[in-house]
Amino acid sequence: MPLLRGFLWLLGFLLVGDALVTLAGLPVSAGVVGMLLLTAWLMMRGTVSGDIAAAAQPLIGVLAMLIMPGVVGVFFILDTLAGQWLAILAALVGGTLLSVFTTLWLMRWLMGNERLDHE
Amino acid sequence: MNELLDHLLATPLLAIALTLAAYFAGDRLFRLVGAPGWCPPILVAALLLAGVLALLGIDYADYREGAGWLMLLLGPATVALGLPLYQQMGHIRTMWRPLLLCLPIAAGMAAFYAVGIAWLLNAPPETLASLAPKSVTAPIAIGITEQIGGSVSLMMGGLLLTGVVAIGFVDLVARWLKIRDPRLLGLALGINGHALGTVRAFEIGPAAGAFASLGMSLTGILTALLLPLAWRLPGLVG
Repeated sequence: MPLLRGFLWLLGFLLVGDALVTLAGLPVSAGVVGMLLLTAWLMMRGTVSGDIAAAAQPLIGVLAMLIMPGVVGVFFILDTLAGQWLAILAALVGGTLLSVFTTLWLMRWLMGNERLDHE
Repeated sequence: MNELLDHLLATPLLAIALTLAAYFAGDRLFRLVGAPGWCPPILVAALLLAGVLALLGIDYADYREGAGWLMLLLGPATVALGLPLYQQMGHIRTMWRPLLLCLPIAAGMAAFYAVGIAWLLNAPPETLASLAPKSVTAPIAIGITEQIGGSVSLMMGGLLLTGVVAIGFVDLVARWLKIRDPRLLGLALGINGHALGTVRAFEIGPAAGAFASLGMSLTGILTALLLPLAWRLPGLVG
């Protein structure tokens, strides 16, 4: 049962993350802390156990399905957003265009500098 | 009929079965229409599911209560993202200097532009809080939205639209800036287009895919750590 054993590992990291978030009053979700703990644990071990891979890969594969119940909700709140459409669409489309440009331009500039450093 | 429906909705089983059915049917339909790159299969599935719920007259709140059992798996799925992050440590090390500078700025700007534009157009605070995590991968974004007081439904819709337009814009802007390095394209897709952009990056190639996963994970972590803190700064929500 590698899948279930791996799932238990993931739950363990999630619960430890939850405990840390609650005890320290961190403003992040338990899942993010659990993810960082898992990464740190794998770096310490230097290898990935088959159990963790057996549970992690299928879960990542069905991420899209897991968010569906949330995505569907947007079709049921369309009425309450009346009057905000322009703001929402402009923010999403315009904001994404600007941030894509910023990322590509900045990264090209930074990598250009990096190359000069090595010469 | 209504009594039967109420009876079946008493346990989460019907909601879970409907979600799975819509997921597979949406995927099938997506392939039937030739798997268009601009339209993620999840959009087809969500439309199908919304249609079925409306047809059956199932209240979204009732559906959501049952389907919450599926979303419970988002917790362990978020933890699972630590695995690809670990596997890309080699990539991260070779480019750590430009990444260290670029990622916080790019991730911050992705949230800032959207919130800024919506704020200028007089959107209420709840809408701003729902738009802020628009470039973050869904399992992490849900946690952020709940923390800063946004609507998860609106955030999810925004996430979907952001993913779709980010794919188009990366293509457009890269051509305009004459950028062909797959690592840069992947990074831009992952930072701005979360999981949808990452799927697109894997179509470009394995290097683009690896950098997209990296951009997606790190944007998620940075935003999860910094956005709730930034939200507490007075004056931001106006």
